[in-house]
Amino acid sequence: MRGRKGDAGHPGGCWTMSNLNILYVEDDPRAAEAVQALVLADGDRLAWEQTGTGGLHRAGAEAFDVIILDRMLPDLDGLTIVSRLRAAGVGTPVLMLSALGRSENRIEGLEAGVDDYLAKPYEPQELVARLRALHRRSAGAVHGAVIIYGAFECHTKARTAFRSGRHVPLSPREFALFRYFMENAGETVTREMLLRDVWNMNFDPQTNVVDVNIGRLRRKLEDGFASPALETIWGAGYRLTRGE
Amino acid sequence: MSASRARPRSRGRSIFGQLTVASILIAVIAVAVLFAVTTITVQRQTRASLSAMVSTDLAGLIDIYATGGRDELLRRVADRQDVVSLEGRRSHYMVADGAGRRLAGDIRQWPQVNAARSEEGFISLANGTAVYAQGTRLAPDLQLLAAREYDRDSTALAVLSAAFLGVGAAIVGAVALVAWFTSRHLARRMDAVNAALGAAADGRAASFPARQRGGDEIDEMAGHGARLLARQAQLLKAYKHVSEHVAHEVRTPLMHLDNRLGAAMQARPEPAGGPLGEARKDIRSITTMLDSLLDIASAESQRGDLAGLARIDLSALAGNLAELYEGSAEDAGLSLETAITPGVSMLGERMQITRLLSNLLDNAIKYVPRGGEVKLLLSDGPRVVIEDDGPGIPHDQRDRVFERFARASAPGDRPGHGLGLALARAIAERHGLILRLGDTPRGAQFILEPAP
Repeated sequence: MRGRKGDAGHPGGCWTMSNLNILYVEDDPRAAEAVQALVLADGDRLAWEQTGTGGLHRAGAEAFDVIILDRMLPDLDGLTIVSRLRAAGVGTPVLMLSALGRSENRIEGLEAGVDDYLAKPYEPQELVARLRALHRRSAGAVHGAVIIYGAFECHTKARTAFRSGRHVPLSPREFALFRYFMENAGETVTREMLLRDVWNMNFDPQTNVVDVNIGRLRRKLEDGFASPALETIWGAGYRLTRGE
Repeated sequence: MSASRARPRSRGRSIFGQLTVASILIAVIAVAVLFAVTTITVQRQTRASLSAMVSTDLAGLIDIYATGGRDELLRRVADRQDVVSLEGRRSHYMVADGAGRRLAGDIRQWPQVNAARSEEGFISLANGTAVYAQGTRLAPDLQLLAAREYDRDSTALAVLSAAFLGVGAAIVGAVALVAWFTSRHLARRMDAVNAALGAAADGRAASFPARQRGGDEIDEMAGHGARLLARQAQLLKAYKHVSEHVAHEVRTPLMHLDNRLGAAMQARPEPAGGPLGEARKDIRSITTMLDSLLDIASAESQRGDLAGLARIDLSALAGNLAELYEGSAEDAGLSLETAITPGVSMLGERMQITRLLSNLLDNAIKYVPRGGEVKLLLSDGPRVVIEDDGPGIPHDQRDRVFERFARASAPGDRPGHGLGLALARAIAERHGLILRLGDTPRGAQFILEPAP
C-alpha cells in the first residue's frame, strides 16, 4: 500500500536557496515522523513513501534534491532501489538511513551507489547537515582559487589561510580541515563528514581524535582574535563562524 | 594469505606420478625375472641334453671297446670324428694312454677332465672350441673322451635373450604409456577438484568439475566438495541474515528511545552531563558494542578469505593515521614517533585495516601515562609494530588480552567495552596476518605481520 503522507510545504512560504525538496522512503511511521518534524522545522519539503516500490516509482517520476532511503524495507531492499535508480539514470543524491551501521554495511551501501550513509540512531542535526552537504556536492559548487567567508580567506592554490587579512600559519592537514570548513561555510560539519572527507576514514574510531584536531585548528584561527572562529554544535559537529 | 595455505605440490609428490613410476618398475622387474627363469631353465635343459648325448656316445664306444677291444675302438673313433649330429652339434673324441698322450681322435691334448672319476662338464679344447665333454678310464693305460660342441645352443639362447629384450621393452613401454595416460587423466581431474577447493579456501569463485559418466571416487569427492561449499554459503547467508536482523531489531527501538530522549531534552534543556544526555550516550555505547561484536564475528567468518580485497597503500594509510593521532598524543602529553617505510602495500580492506591500526594507536594513547612515548613502525612484509613505554600488559593478562570484553586492569576508569583488540586480531586474521604481543622489557609491543 502506498503510504503517502502528502507533500509538506513550508508553512511560512519563505523559501530560500537552501530549502530542499526531499523524498523519504521509510516503512517505520515513528522514524518517519521524527525526520519529517526535523526537516519541516528547517523549512524543507518532504515527500514520504512507505514502500520501496512506491519510493522507486516516485524517485523516477519527480525531481527531488535529495532522497533519504531506509535500507530494510518490507517489499524491496534499499540497496536494490539505489541500484535500479542508478541503472535508470536517476542521479539524485541518496542518503541511506539504516539500522545497519557497521563498516561493511556502509561499504555495501556506497558500492550500490548511495552517496552517503547514516546509521540509526543518529543526531537530528547530523542528518540535516548531511542532507545539505549532499545537496551542495550534487549542485556542483565550484570554488575558485580564493574562497572568502566573512573575515576568512582560503587560497586553495597557494594553500594559505588568512583571517582579517592576517596570515594564519597552518600545517597541511590543518589547511585541509580549514578548506573543508570554508567549502561548507555557514553549515554544520559533522565529525563523520570530517573523518570521511578529510581523513578518508569511513568509520568513527569512537575517540576524540577529531575534536583534538579541531581544537588545534581553532587555537590557530583564534590566536590574537577576540571572537570565536569555530562553534561547536552539540551532538552534531562544528560550524565556521564569519569570524568578524 | 591464509594461515593454513597449502604449499604447492612438487611433481614427485603426486601419487599419480609415483604410481606411474611404480608400474614401470614392476613391469621391468617382472620381465627381468621371467627372463632369468627362462634362461636358467634353457641352460639346464641344454646341459641335461648335452650330458645325455655325450654319455650315450661314450657308452657306445665303451661297448665297442668291450666287444672289439682296443684296436677296434681306435678305428671306430677315427671313423666318427667327422660325424655331425642331427641337431648340428659336432662331436670330438680322444683316446689316450694313461699319461694322456693321444692314441686316436681329433682332440690333440687331454683337457682338464679326470677320466678316473668319469668327470663331465663345459670345457674349452686346446684349439679354443667350447664343448661339453666327459672322460672315462677304460683300462689303466687307456682313457676315452667324448665331447660335443654347443655353440648352436648358445646362439639359440642369444636369440631368446634378444627376443626377451625386445618383447620386454615393448611390455614396459606399453605399461608406461598406459600408466602415464591414466595418471595424467586422473591427475587432471584431481587437480580440477583441488583447484576448486583451493579457490574456495581462498575465497575465490569455485566450480567443481562435471561428473563423468558412471561416476567414480573423484566424482564423489567433487560432489561432497560442492555440497560443502553450498552449505558454507548457506550458513554465511543465514549468519548475515540473523546478524542484520538482530542489529535492526535492537537499533530500531533504541532509536525510538533516543528520539524521545532528544525531544525531552529539547522541551526541558539540561546542563551538560545531565541524566538525559548521559542516557543518550549509553544508547550510542550499546549500539557501538553491538556493531563491534558483529564486526568481530564477520571478520572471523572471513578468516583468510582474500575475496574482495584490493591492494592498498599501507604506508599512506599509516601516515594518515599517525597524523590524525598526533594531536591526541600531544594532548595526552605523549610523543608519537613514526618510522614508516614508503611504498609498502598489501591486499586488504582499507576501512578494516584503518580500524585495526587506529584501535592499536588508540589503545597505546589511552594507557601510556603523560611523558611517555608511542612508536608506530612500518616495514616491508608488511610488518607493523606499535609499541610504547607505558605500564605494559601484566604477565597474567597477556593470554587473554585479545579476547572479547578483555580489559587491562590499569589505573583510572577507561571508557570502552574491551572489544578493540579482539576486533583488531579478527581483522588481522581475516587478512592472513597475525597480531601478537612482542616480548619487551617495558611497555607494550603489538606486532602485526604475515601469518607463518
